[in-house]
Amino acid sequence: MAVPISQMWTVATYVLKKRFTGANRYPLVLMLEPLFRCNLACAGCGKVQYPPHVLKRMLTPEECFAAVEECGAPMVSIPGGEPLLHPQIVEIVNGLIARKKYIYLCTNALELKRRLHEFTPSKYLTFSVHLDGERDHHDFSVCREGGWDLAVEGIKAAVARGFRVTTNATFFDGTDPHSVRAFFDEVMDMGVEGIVLSPGYSYEKAPDQHRFLGRARVRRLFRAILSNRKPNWKFNMSPLFLEFLMGDRKYDCTPWGSPAYNIFGWQRPCYLLQDGYAETFQELLETTKWEEYGVGSGNPKCANCMVSCGYEPTAVMDGFGSMRGLWAMIRGTFSRYNDPHALKLLNEFPKRESHSTLVQIESTEREMATR
Amino acid sequence: MTAEVQKYTREQVEALELAPGTEHQQLEGWVPELASEGDLREALEKAFDYRGDVTITTKAGKKIEAFIFNRRTGATLAESYVQYFEANVEGKQKLSYAEISRLEFTGKDRAAGKHWEDWVKAYNERKAAGEKNIALHPDKID
Repeated sequence: MAVPISQMWTVATYVLKKRFTGANRYPLVLMLEPLFRCNLACAGCGKVQYPPHVLKRMLTPEECFAAVEECGAPMVSIPGGEPLLHPQIVEIVNGLIARKKYIYLCTNALELKRRLHEFTPSKYLTFSVHLDGERDHHDFSVCREGGWDLAVEGIKAAVARGFRVTTNATFFDGTDPHSVRAFFDEVMDMGVEGIVLSPGYSYEKAPDQHRFLGRARVRRLFRAILSNRKPNWKFNMSPLFLEFLMGDRKYDCTPWGSPAYNIFGWQRPCYLLQDGYAETFQELLETTKWEEYGVGSGNPKCANCMVSCGYEPTAVMDGFGSMRGLWAMIRGTFSRYNDPHALKLLNEFPKRESHSTLVQIESTEREMATR
Repeated sequence: MTAEVQKYTREQVEALELAPGTEHQQLEGWVPELASEGDLREALEKAFDYRGDVTITTKAGKKIEAFIFNRRTGATLAESYVQYFEANVEGKQKLSYAEISRLEFTGKDRAAGKHWEDWVKAYNERKAAGEKNIALHPDKID
């Protein structure tokens, strides 16, 4: 079990309280983006393409705390940009710990080892380190040779100092499931608490619109990756969300489950789509046309999204919303999902001897040819 | 649900092998003709999507070079507004559609040239030239 009992208890009681009070729409994780500046320049990233005067702007700690209190979610994810470039990130983190929020500080970890001494280990703080796969694959994905080595140094130093650490990977078209499974072995050996993963999604603001998996392909890829699990693999995610990725569950999106707040305001409708901003969280909830988003809406902008920020809240609410859901979660936590058909599917994916960058070129050409 | 939004059935979406994605237009340097209310609304929608600064000329003759990050559309131009950040000006600014006379996409498109294919091509060229520690670096902001 990767998620600590205290965190599960906090989330479970929060969900139950919301249900008993009849709340229809409530947040689970606040996506708090204190800045967009980054020390990587990943091709295709749609989060950091702004003019310099926008990249220089940052949320103050007071603005962060006000957003957290306004939203009320029990968990806060701090992505960006690179949060460790924020000069007051320690103050922000300590303020959230004081408010007993479970924090996932999402970092590429290039600065983690150097900044680690400024933080104090806490059950409320997890460093969620962006690692997209084995060394060559990750370096190519983040457009920086040597990036993997720096990130892994940071992970090992954080684990050694007693911090909670997870890895966080996004998988695109052309991903080799054999390599991903080897990557899972590798990161679990580093002593991380668990793995977080998500399929890529061609959200409108991403400059690159050609490397993204459709839903049918996502299900095949994740069935191959996540079936027949090794005993030491742990996932810091809802098991029901992983079943959704594997095609065992059909869920609708819960965009208000992971609301995003940044220098522009409360982003609508979700963390990845930018269809405008609201001044307050209440305004976001009340004035967003939620029926126009999500897989059930038919909106092409949402067509291939199976991303955790939209669907994991659905899975968590399903899991804590009934005895049946709770039982499915318990069963999923301890199951290895043995499945001979999935093993056959896995073996149908070509096994690559190296993680040559040429794999990516082939992938791009093949994908575009089929469009 | 508007027809503009609903393009797919659930079955079609579930069966997608590859995502069609969004076609991005080349807008840098564009000066839209604002002959009608519809032209203005359409141009400001594109400015909202644009990843660079634009220059707005108000009906009073003031020029504002800014990044538009939000727009709120109402029944009339007076009820519609854009929100923007201007370099060296603290805080969010707001301007009614009704006050805008000219729009120019003057700033660099910060998303241009950031495609995966661009990186693959650059990487292979640099690797072939014997370069080590190949990386893309963020644009300087200071």
